[in-house]
Amino acid sequence: MRYEIRVDGHLSEPLIGVFPELDHVEMSGQTLLFGHVIDEAHLYGLLARCQSLGLRVLEMRQIPE
Amino acid sequence: MAGLEGDDPPEAEDRADPHGDPFLRTRFAVPARPVTFLRRERLTRHLDQALRTPLTMINGAPGAGKTLLVADWVAHRDGLPVAWLTTDATGDGPGMFWAYLLRALRGVGVPLPADTGVPADANRVSPALPARLAAELSARERPVVVVLDEFDRVTAPEIAEQLEFVLHHAGPGLRLVLVTRTEPLLPLHRYRLAGELTEIRGAELAFTPDEAVELMDLHGLRLPPAALRALVERTRGWAAGLRLCALAAGQSPDPEAYLKEFEADRSAIADFLLGEVLKRQDAQTQDLLLRVSVLDRFSPGLANAVTGRDDAEAVLARLSRGNAFVEHLGHGLYRLHPLFAEILRAHLRMRRPGLEPGLHRRAAEWLRRSGFLSEALGHGAAAGDWGFTAGALVDDLAIGQFFTGLRSDAVAELFSRMGRESTGPAPELVRAAGRLARCELDGGLAHLRRAQHELMEYDGTSDEAAARLSCALLEALAARLTGAPARAEDAARAAERLREAVPDDLLERHPELTALLLDHLGSTRLWAGHFEKARAALSTVADSAPGAATALPREDSLGRLALIDYLNGWLGRAERKAREALLETERFGLPRPSGSGVERLVLAAVAVDRDELGQAQALLDTLADTHPAMRDPVLRAGRALTTARLHLARGDPGAALKAVEPEVPADVVSPWARGGTTLVAAAAHLIEGRAETAAGLLLDVPEEQVACAVGAARIQLATGRAAAAVRLLDRVRPEGRAGPAVTVRAALVRAQAADEAGDGVSARGLVVRALEEARRERLRRPFREAGPWIRPYLGTAWPHWLTTGRLAPGAGPPRRRHEPPPPVYEELSGRERDVLRRLALTMSTQEIAADLYVSVNTVKTHLKSVYRKLSVNRRNEAVRRARDLDLL
Repeated sequence: MRYEIRVDGHLSEPLIGVFPELDHVEMSGQTLLFGHVIDEAHLYGLLARCQSLGLRVLEMRQIPE
Repeated sequence: MAGLEGDDPPEAEDRADPHGDPFLRTRFAVPARPVTFLRRERLTRHLDQALRTPLTMINGAPGAGKTLLVADWVAHRDGLPVAWLTTDATGDGPGMFWAYLLRALRGVGVPLPADTGVPADANRVSPALPARLAAELSARERPVVVVLDEFDRVTAPEIAEQLEFVLHHAGPGLRLVLVTRTEPLLPLHRYRLAGELTEIRGAELAFTPDEAVELMDLHGLRLPPAALRALVERTRGWAAGLRLCALAAGQSPDPEAYLKEFEADRSAIADFLLGEVLKRQDAQTQDLLLRVSVLDRFSPGLANAVTGRDDAEAVLARLSRGNAFVEHLGHGLYRLHPLFAEILRAHLRMRRPGLEPGLHRRAAEWLRRSGFLSEALGHGAAAGDWGFTAGALVDDLAIGQFFTGLRSDAVAELFSRMGRESTGPAPELVRAAGRLARCELDGGLAHLRRAQHELMEYDGTSDEAAARLSCALLEALAARLTGAPARAEDAARAAERLREAVPDDLLERHPELTALLLDHLGSTRLWAGHFEKARAALSTVADSAPGAATALPREDSLGRLALIDYLNGWLGRAERKAREALLETERFGLPRPSGSGVERLVLAAVAVDRDELGQAQALLDTLADTHPAMRDPVLRAGRALTTARLHLARGDPGAALKAVEPEVPADVVSPWARGGTTLVAAAAHLIEGRAETAAGLLLDVPEEQVACAVGAARIQLATGRAAAAVRLLDRVRPEGRAGPAVTVRAALVRAQAADEAGDGVSARGLVVRALEEARRERLRRPFREAGPWIRPYLGTAWPHWLTTGRLAPGAGPPRRRHEPPPPVYEELSGRERDVLRRLALTMSTQEIAADLYVSVNTVKTHLKSVYRKLSVNRRNEAVRRARDLDLL
């Protein structure tokens, strides 16, 4: 399943490096992380990663393959 | 998480935490507030509500200021006991969690009686522990406040459940404050509806513009109102954002211009600000911050170990005073704020790719040198250096932690990540231990042999003794699991020699090693039928000093001592010891099926002898889930035998035969297991009318096992060889050598033989004495299985205790409802039943004929077909069988 996670702000290079499995694109003060998510555990793990880095998650949704 | 100075706890149990390390005092320390901390009255007043509601929850994003708010509030709660516990970074299993929480409570002077229990298993606690704790707290006059910081790291749902239970039952004696990033798994809505929840959430924690002014003030920054409003808006009042901003701006030549820049920037706030603040540190400080980001808690010494410099003390002191990166935890320990540690690790990976494993490795070595084994193992594993990590475990003589104590699951989990590439004795020993702990005998043995081989080629370096001793332990376990007494004795002797070469303090620190070894030895001797030698080894373990690390082998040893008593016919003693073992289980909060469960097996066997069959069944059912490392032949055989005897008692010989059919694999034959199995089979064949088969089996029964010999005498008697039975008893002389469960049976065999020989007086005397002896032990089964000959001797004075309300004289045992009816091959006719009923009333053939108005020959014809249909040869058997089949 593919997901995209929209977080507030642009991410520095080290922080992008924390999500090596996802692609990213920056747009108007937000960062869109997207890519293949293996399962629910992975999904919650991604959310926890965002939280532990102090990122504000604005949106998260499943996208068509 | 390491670097503690000496600790001086009062009780032995408390000295070691469940990890086997000194309690990490910093986990109980209320965090210090930095000088720039701003006390906000509105929040403190709200938090005062916490004293009026059972549950308080402070939640918010990392860096929202949750912990400091509560820490500050706690610091002003004079006189009220406050137990503070910071959850471990790796997350705790229930056992670990409760062990720490109890320690935290005791640490602030909450008296908890010893029977509250101490968890001894990492991932489970007995339900008795929360119950006793709740009872204790509910009796308090003044509440104790318990603060659980970083509760989001507690992910095990059963902890939330147990906590909720304690909270509910402790009443006003407990005020629980949870500080967490995420909502805990407690039924918050219920507390909320009942007005029993104080909630401070992210929005409330956010700084207002006025509060931001004060905070900036504390940092020496004065900003125009517009700039401040913009800053609060940009950070959404996020405490960590404001602090970092103040730091970055404070270090900038023109703070105001800097803030404008920040406002315009579109980066994620923490990321950006941390980068800014980091940039402004000198190179050494930056390097130190990046490197310590792989550590959870650290002392200056550990920080120096990862930086390779010696300036950590001064740098850390300075950082902890000035900024929000580094917190001083007291006792010379520091940590990075979790949020910043996370971001710093990201920077470390980016700037110094490939450095991380080396840092873990350095940390592991320092921790190992400083005596913090579990932390050393964690970092060794994180470094992927399995040779080092396995070596640390083995050289510390901690291999027993695979099998017992609160760390067993953690150790097994840690080493499950070890690949195949690391070689050497230590990794092989660890692999062997992991396999054996899961009862994977073949795999375990293969690795153990490899380890032994490598040790032989090892040319005497200093730490070899610990590895060899570990080897002996695993060898003893393997011998136990394969039922190989000679190998177990060899291993024990080798271990005895090696103990000399191992430093005393290592052995003292790991009492589980000796306890496990002796338990294995004793259990193997028990299998081989050497009861006295087994008792010697097992008693040593059972009598050893209590403690979480040895709870499992102590319980197992006690259970096996109980089994020896049972096998010798001492039901009462066996029961007492088995109950003691169960108590041990409970005291250390081991979950019900924790050890081998041999004590429950003994209780089941005792219940069968007492004819408490439902009880026996229930106990056997709980045996299903036992510790894999304790599933040895003793347990398997004991379980098969008890199950079979239960089937026999319920009149299901087919099921009994099936229960003992699969042979328990073992290197040597166990005399009692083989004897018991043979007797069960013989009894089953007898019931099914195959007297010759039964008699033929008796050749296999060892006479030196008293209980077996008496059982054999019973079968001989039942197959019509009364004289041989009595001769056998005369040879074996069970009286004085065994307990009532054996001697009562022997007396009944003699009594029946006397009865058949027409010596009613002797028979009566023997039965009376047997009754006397059996009464104390509530031993009912031998009388139940004796057959109808005994009824006249019991006469009208059928003792009340013998009936247990379900066994009235002349009445057959009511069949349990859930039991399948035993097979009857051919229905009895109405007339045959009439004859059988009169037979059961001990009427003679003539009397029956007269009663039924038929000829004696007709009665004889009926009897013959009854015998054939019931597959029996004699009157007694026909009646017994008919009772078992509920035909009467």
